[in-house]
Amino acid sequence: MSVEAGVVKAGQGGQPGWAARRLAGIGAGALDNARAARLLYSIFIRTLYYSVRGRREKGAVLRACYGIGNRSLFFLTAVMGFVGMIMVFHSCTQINRITGDLHLVGATYIQLVVRDFAASVGSMMLATRVGAGIAAEIGSMVVTDQVDALRMCAAEPVDYLIVPRFKASVVMTTVLLVWAMFVMEVSGMLTAWGMFNVNPRIFWNLSMVDFRDLATGLTKCLAFGAAIPIVSGYCGLTTFGGAEGVGWATTRAVVWSCFATILLNFIISTTALYVFWA
Amino acid sequence: MTESLVQLEVAGKQPGRVSRGAERAVRRIGRSVVGIAQQTGGILVLLGKIVRRFFPPDIDYYELKRNLHKMGNRSLPIIALTSVFVGAIMVVQASAYVQQFSATAFVGWGAGYVILRELGPILIALMFSGRVGANNTAELGTMVVTEQIDGLRSLAIDPISYLIVPRFLGMITMLFVLTVFGNLVALCGAALFGQLTLGIEWRVFFHGITELLKPWDVYVGLIKSLVFGLIIALSSCYFGLAVRGGAPGVGRAVNASVVASAVGIFVSDYFMTFLLD
Amino acid sequence: MIRFVGLSKSFGSKSVLDGVDVSIGKGEVFFIIGQSGVGKSVLIKHLIGLLRPDRGEIYLDDQEISRLTERQYFAVRRRCGMVFQHSTLFDSLTCIENVALPIRKHKHLGKKKALVEARKRLEQVHMEEFAETFPAALGDGMRKRVAIARTLTMDPEFVLFDEPTTGLDPVSARRVDVLIRELADRLHVTCVVVSHDLTSIFSIADRIVMLYKGKVRLLGTRDEFRRSADPVVRQFITGSAEGPME
Repeated sequence: MSVEAGVVKAGQGGQPGWAARRLAGIGAGALDNARAARLLYSIFIRTLYYSVRGRREKGAVLRACYGIGNRSLFFLTAVMGFVGMIMVFHSCTQINRITGDLHLVGATYIQLVVRDFAASVGSMMLATRVGAGIAAEIGSMVVTDQVDALRMCAAEPVDYLIVPRFKASVVMTTVLLVWAMFVMEVSGMLTAWGMFNVNPRIFWNLSMVDFRDLATGLTKCLAFGAAIPIVSGYCGLTTFGGAEGVGWATTRAVVWSCFATILLNFIISTTALYVFWA
Repeated sequence: MTESLVQLEVAGKQPGRVSRGAERAVRRIGRSVVGIAQQTGGILVLLGKIVRRFFPPDIDYYELKRNLHKMGNRSLPIIALTSVFVGAIMVVQASAYVQQFSATAFVGWGAGYVILRELGPILIALMFSGRVGANNTAELGTMVVTEQIDGLRSLAIDPISYLIVPRFLGMITMLFVLTVFGNLVALCGAALFGQLTLGIEWRVFFHGITELLKPWDVYVGLIKSLVFGLIIALSSCYFGLAVRGGAPGVGRAVNASVVASAVGIFVSDYFMTFLLD
Repeated sequence: MIRFVGLSKSFGSKSVLDGVDVSIGKGEVFFIIGQSGVGKSVLIKHLIGLLRPDRGEIYLDDQEISRLTERQYFAVRRRCGMVFQHSTLFDSLTCIENVALPIRKHKHLGKKKALVEARKRLEQVHMEEFAETFPAALGDGMRKRVAIARTLTMDPEFVLFDEPTTGLDPVSARRVDVLIRELADRLHVTCVVVSHDLTSIFSIADRIVMLYKGKVRLLGTRDEFRRSADPVVRQFITGSAEGPME
């Protein structure tokens, strides 16, 4: 960056112009992004490699499961319960306005929940909760030189820090998101029953959920579960600079794992649309 | 009553695992209830302190300007990206139904309704909380850990009016502005993707929005964004100022702040959905 | 004139100060010394209300200040500046903006005028060439000098220094010593210095108080300190590992 800026400066014989500075900025940004993408990719590959070939520490995965699963359960249940209520309330008021025929609401709702909403909204919540946690833990270890101490003991940080969280996250995200589907269905059913007088038996209608919806939903669960620990582990491992650095790492982990789930959701939804429904 | 008490006592004395586990669970639930009550109380006290700084107005305008600039600049790209994809996902999800019922005229209305009233404000607020709210918690937390807040106090400068009030105002204003912007981008993303995958003319798409939606639908989303801004601002400042214990403490605070913001956003959204219908 | 009367403070079950009586006269360089963790910084933080005592009183020119509200304390803090151990410059502001902040806030000057005034203050500590630098890019000694400049912008009557020479190289440390001595001699500012740097103590202190186990162990001039026969004080001066100190 400094070299580029220097060249621009020499070329114009003075302060670089606005456009030149912008260009240099964009170039530096692009280089940074490319470097970050390569590192992210290398962490992903190494995580996969060590998941199969790595050393196995007893209980590490279970502990990570506890940290990711049990400690997000209450949060996720509360949020998804409210999301279910909001969604059913909106659908029912809109349908009442147009046709007033509420007996297919439940079937359509559960189809949408399974295919998309439980996974997409739930995984954003998990990205916030779990991603921030992972980045904060690993980031604190980095700034207090514990990760370098690991390297001195010939332990690979990816193997030691990310792999257990990766395995745990893939399992627990799936479990939690299936639970989220259930929570949304129940809270939606109660809303429809209490506010719009839809009989729970009519609301609880799984006839529209087929293999295609299940496959799409479960693929999303697995993909999000894999993406969150990798992205936030990357943010944690690239921490520098004391308490402020840990804060920064956590922030980046939240934003980029949320964004990763939105991007993956887009890719999986589009692919599913063309494979199953088009 | 007395009998059950005695039984409890006996059960407590026995090294039975069930009663121990139950006791521990009850204790843990009690502790988290107390913790949540404490945090809610702390946030309300902070709100009171902030409100008092407006009578008479005691606001640092340089700091406000700096914060507005920083918050807007930092979150604009990520919010634009998120919004485009959210708009696109909406259309992808709708497309199966649209093809089934060939209801292309309603896509604009459906996407517009969901984006403007619910999804736009919520998702933009979540991203904003991750980007700006979390960053704010980290910054304030670092200032607490490195004694910079005490430094301000030692210079006879009120940390609330110098640090917190500008951030508070900045976040509420910026989230509002970004929601307006993000809603627009999401609608454009939906229109673009509708044309690409379903072949819906953008004219038809926007016709659906302008004809079938009321101005109130737009206002509801914007009112929500103001409330979300308030929630994010309060929780991020509160958890930032409450940091204890060095670098790990800052990480934990950021985590707690984004989680609290998310819960606050969804719970308040539920109630606003009723109240603003 | 500062007077602590029977000051006690504990954190949880740990008692840090236990009935400390000290009075500090006008215009002197007063050192507070003792082992790490004995409560030296705790003592001076009480003076500007960053901590509140459990028992005891604090007098600033015959006004009892320990029960003031946070708002009332602002008047005290304008008279007593403090230089923190880690300087506590604000990361998000450049050096000159750091110095300009209290000027802008308390003298109600516009930003431009405040920056002009701040530049003069930076020149006093020979830091004008780093005016536009962010504090993170500076070394400890330079940061300390900017922090001193920032504290002096309020023209305080008392300045509290929390370990001003700890973590500095010997040359920077002696420069800080000279600065403190000049403050007292030329501007008649009372300097209260928390330190365990023996070189500073023997070169610039007027009077010294030594805290030990939450109480005053010795209060006197440099020479009294040097000649003291108290085994605890002797051990502190010689710095030997063996002795009565815990």
